[in-house]
Amino acid sequence: MAHVDVREMPVLHEECCKGCGRCREACARACIAPGTDINELSGLVPIVLSLDACNGCGLCAEACPEPYGLEMALPGAAREPAAVAPRARFVPPPDEPDARVPLPHSPPLVVKGTHASAIGALLAGCRHFFGYPITPSTEGAELMAKLLPALGGSFVQAPSEVAAVNMMYGAAGAGRRTMTFTSSPGFSLMLEGVSYLIGAELPAVFVNVMRAGPGLGNIGPEQSDLKLACRGLGHGSTHAIVLAPATPQEMLDFTMLAFELAFRYRNPVVVAADGHLGQMTGKVELPRALVRPGLPGWAVSGDGPHRGNLHSSILLREADQEAHNLHLFDKYARMTAAEQRVETLHCEDAETLVVACGTPARMASGAVAALRAEGVRVGLFRPQTVWPFPVAALLPLVRRARRIVVVEASDGQLEDELRLALSHAGVGGEVPIEHVRRHGGILPSQLEIAAGVRKSAGRRVTA
Amino acid sequence: MSVFYERFERHDHAEGIKGRSTHYCPGCGHGLVHRYLAEAIEELGIQDRTIAVSPVGCSVFLYYYLDVGHTQAAHGRAPAVALGHKLSNPDSVVVSYQGDGDLASIGLTEILHAAQLGVPLSVVFVNNAIYGMTGGQTAPTTLMGQKTTTSPHGRDLSMGLPLKMAELIAQLDGPVYVERVALFDAKQRVRAAKAVKKGLELQAEGKGFSFVEVLAECPTHLRLSAEEAERWVKEKMVPVFPLGVKKDVSATASFDAWRTPTYAADAVLEAIDARQAEAPRYAQGFPATPFGGDELGLKFAGSGGDGAQTAAMLMVHAAVNEGLDATHIPSYGPESRGGTSYADVRIARTQVLSPDVPSPHALVAFNAPSLAKFGATVAPGGIALYDRSVIREPHALPPGVRALGVPLSEIAAELGQPLVKNVVAIGALQGATGLFPAETVLAVIRQALQKRPALVAVNAEAFARGARAVERGWGSAG
Repeated sequence: MAHVDVREMPVLHEECCKGCGRCREACARACIAPGTDINELSGLVPIVLSLDACNGCGLCAEACPEPYGLEMALPGAAREPAAVAPRARFVPPPDEPDARVPLPHSPPLVVKGTHASAIGALLAGCRHFFGYPITPSTEGAELMAKLLPALGGSFVQAPSEVAAVNMMYGAAGAGRRTMTFTSSPGFSLMLEGVSYLIGAELPAVFVNVMRAGPGLGNIGPEQSDLKLACRGLGHGSTHAIVLAPATPQEMLDFTMLAFELAFRYRNPVVVAADGHLGQMTGKVELPRALVRPGLPGWAVSGDGPHRGNLHSSILLREADQEAHNLHLFDKYARMTAAEQRVETLHCEDAETLVVACGTPARMASGAVAALRAEGVRVGLFRPQTVWPFPVAALLPLVRRARRIVVVEASDGQLEDELRLALSHAGVGGEVPIEHVRRHGGILPSQLEIAAGVRKSAGRRVTA
Repeated sequence: MSVFYERFERHDHAEGIKGRSTHYCPGCGHGLVHRYLAEAIEELGIQDRTIAVSPVGCSVFLYYYLDVGHTQAAHGRAPAVALGHKLSNPDSVVVSYQGDGDLASIGLTEILHAAQLGVPLSVVFVNNAIYGMTGGQTAPTTLMGQKTTTSPHGRDLSMGLPLKMAELIAQLDGPVYVERVALFDAKQRVRAAKAVKKGLELQAEGKGFSFVEVLAECPTHLRLSAEEAERWVKEKMVPVFPLGVKKDVSATASFDAWRTPTYAADAVLEAIDARQAEAPRYAQGFPATPFGGDELGLKFAGSGGDGAQTAAMLMVHAAVNEGLDATHIPSYGPESRGGTSYADVRIARTQVLSPDVPSPHALVAFNAPSLAKFGATVAPGGIALYDRSVIREPHALPPGVRALGVPLSEIAAELGQPLVKNVVAIGALQGATGLFPAETVLAVIRQALQKRPALVAVNAEAFARGARAVERGWGSAG
């Protein structure tokens, strides 16, 4: 029987051909001509094949930039596009759950705030740190650099905060627990990346040890990034939980909490500490367990089960983007409902409510204790989350209070959160809101706060 | 071509022909480079391991097409994102796919950092000498004289010369393989496909960082036909961007700096230096002072190197070991050495409220400016302890404050160890106030010096000499 030479020959899928003609240049036998007829499906003009002279060399298909434009196939074997069924929807594998590993009891550590936060991150299972040195946050990064190698983790000193946040984006996309330490100017630089993290619904923890600004400012403590953290996390409609620790103990506890919340909501979490708290040394108790993280089903982790996962924040169709935004807003609403945190001191019968967070709240607690000793009915309302502002706990107190005094180291950024929260709750105007503020790296002192409350309460200011 | 999705569901929901057709303009080079990636991934058998990081630019939608893990990055940051992925999963094969605006303009820092770091990544850099997605603006790689929408009269020297990334990257120590290839004819396409595959293979085998620059056609913004654009690349681009291998040390390269995370409790506790045993207590609760109350404030002030911060920390440790609460806030000048150095310490029976110390019960001043600055703030009945070796004529102090000059530096010098003057100061503070039993402070000193035990004796002696140099007693409450 004679040998029949059956060669693969070019098959053109006209609807996928854009008529670019790269195949024409590749063909040595002039089998390909520019087309003249518009394809009904594509609206473009595909090339025309005449295969009389074709030797099946395949160079034309090699030159085609379209995956399904021009293929080499045995006669009759070419794939018909109509036969391609819609792909079964990818179902990510279930989450591999986190585990809690019990810790034996240890005496308290005596560590500074940034170190407490770094230790909290390690206990929360963070093994991927990316950062850029900036005072007064750097000691946290330095401790991570020292400790992560022994724990098999990665520490990368990025070339900038911009690079650092994007390394976090990659590690977060892989489902890992990742964090950075930064301070105000560095946080500004990271905000683009924070917006991407929020858009792509990726978890990451930012410990911002706030310093005085604007601009380069100085390395003294301020609380003037609350506006950024609560209202300005990069472009778009963004929000993230903003935790406001006030002690080295809370630096550890809230950093651990931040990871839990970041993964619960698939959203970044900001730990907003002031410069004093970053540097302040205090007594820190360890938790009863550390976290051995699992792997979320949504991770892009370089393995078969997760292969169909995608992290992106681009949605070209306006309706898709709107639907995604509504999904995010629903998440913000759930955070607002579930994650308000506050500590109150002597608020039950307070006529004057002092509202403060971070280190100024500690000054305020000293002032409240001193004023109570004088018989002044004053209490401290200390938000532990600035966003969401703990308004639910504030409302019943506001009904009883005669005045609010907001104490902070900024131009009123905490007060703005308070006012917004009250306004959204339909409360406003009934209770005067006054303030004690310091700036430039100076925190309001206990004496200034006490004097401010006395003045506000209409009492004589005593020495 | 199984690595291409059968249907591009992510491409506008695969409506119409979009399930089988790319979003690229006719003749665009990206489709070919996508194909080389797909072929290489299939041939190397790394589809499950592959993570593609797509940029901002025309190839932002790489994730429409390849059936691998995907992360879409912010403009220019793909190498940083890729690094985050790679460090999270060292066995993955991470591709950073970028265009010329992305990689050679806004993302220069990220690509240079990643390349020099040398962590195995595969960068595919598509250079078509123009910004595509934003509509034909000047790229760092735009040729001299080339007209773009932001060089309407042609690129001239006011815009600088084209940036040659492959040569730049090849200069670095980190990469193991750098090559520039093109797509303008069948021969170049074969080379391009090989180079892309080699870049992936080097990572899959754990050898190192690779960088493949592909000269590609953008017929749309060059305002040329696809065939003309191929010729333009060949005749105009190649002389400026010569093809070929720029660096290849892959034969001898390997990268094995990987670590495996551990979460074992003992490893973590050891790393953070958590002790198992409680420190012994020597005191009877909160220190008895004439001030009463539940809180005390101390201030240590001097120049950097005086040991003010260390002295403050020793007192905090002493208080915590005795079951009290304590805080320390440091304050420095901008100098790393020799500037001002102040420390506020608060000690409380249960919980420190305000941690700052505007009005200390005891001030330790190591130099005259510190005494001048803080002497007047000492609380009535408090102590202003200062280094009499350097402060001969102390400023007047408020009434009721006990001025306590101790020759801290001289005592330390006599001990042959000038650095222990802060421990002499703590000894004197203890001698004058009895805040904590001597054994409490000595235990803390030993604890602080556990890695330098040879220094314990001189520090203990410094403490004792300081304590002996003073008489017990606070100031007189006013």
